[in-house]
Amino acid sequence: MNGDKHTATATKSSGAGMNDLRLEAARKRLSESSSQQDAIEGLREIVANFVGSEEIGLFKVERRAATFKVYWSFGIDPENYDLLRSLGEAGLQRVMRGECHVVLPSRDRGAVVRVQAFVPIRFANQTVAILAILRLLPQKISFDRSDMELFKLLSEEAAKPLFGSSVHSMPVEGPGMRA
Amino acid sequence: MSKKILVVDDSKTALMMEREIVERRTTYQCVTASDGLEAVEKAQLERPDLVLMDVVMPRMNGFEACKRMRQQPGTREIPIVLVTTRGEESYMEAGFQSGCNDYITKPVDGAELVALLQSYLGE
Repeated sequence: MNGDKHTATATKSSGAGMNDLRLEAARKRLSESSSQQDAIEGLREIVANFVGSEEIGLFKVERRAATFKVYWSFGIDPENYDLLRSLGEAGLQRVMRGECHVVLPSRDRGAVVRVQAFVPIRFANQTVAILAILRLLPQKISFDRSDMELFKLLSEEAAKPLFGSSVHSMPVEGPGMRA
Repeated sequence: MSKKILVVDDSKTALMMEREIVERRTTYQCVTASDGLEAVEKAQLERPDLVLMDVVMPRMNGFEACKRMRQQPGTREIPIVLVTTRGEESYMEAGFQSGCNDYITKPVDGAELVALLQSYLGE
């Protein structure tokens, strides 16, 4: 797959003040989660309501087997989804380093490459999981600057609510893992 | 006395965001409900000036809640704006059939939402 992959930059914003409200709401929703299950529901709601996607996967990095394990998904069949195929080796390395990786819509040998985003979920300077946002709602064409700011927030603040105390035992070995 | 908006969504995140927009970016008051059934009850009780309501919700969806509000004398005239992830024409048509006045899709643009609310309620 040769979609136009890159670390995303800004395209537009719907207003800094409104975006601050959105970030604040997302932060509050995650931090006030009553359980890991509630945090996962919060993540689904944040992606659906603020980003505009209902196809999401959360892949936990498994240190011992050097693989990714589907931790949770919504709107996709995780058994038939290949994270590494979508992400590519270069994309994987970026995400493992802590960069958000966005695939912009394009065509590859006639096949449509859909817009996608892969967000590193970080803890203690390590990527402990990858949030894959795999399709946008039809009314939303691409990601914008406010989405990038939201991804940054999720990257920095979602690990503890999502994984609870188990996050402390989730260091990783770096890129080059198998999906 | 400031105008009152009933915000209805089963998503805590959406409710939190829409409430923040209403309370911090407008002069309107906000009351909330987390499904259609609660919305119908609260609309009767609170008599809001506008209802901003999600469509896909447990117990009673937004279309049905909209129909019920239109059947009740106390809520028949309240403007109802439906909010949903589905933007297809047939789906929007179903929304208007249920009696809504307007229809916006998620993700909600805050500035557009404020402008829409003000178009019904004034500044």
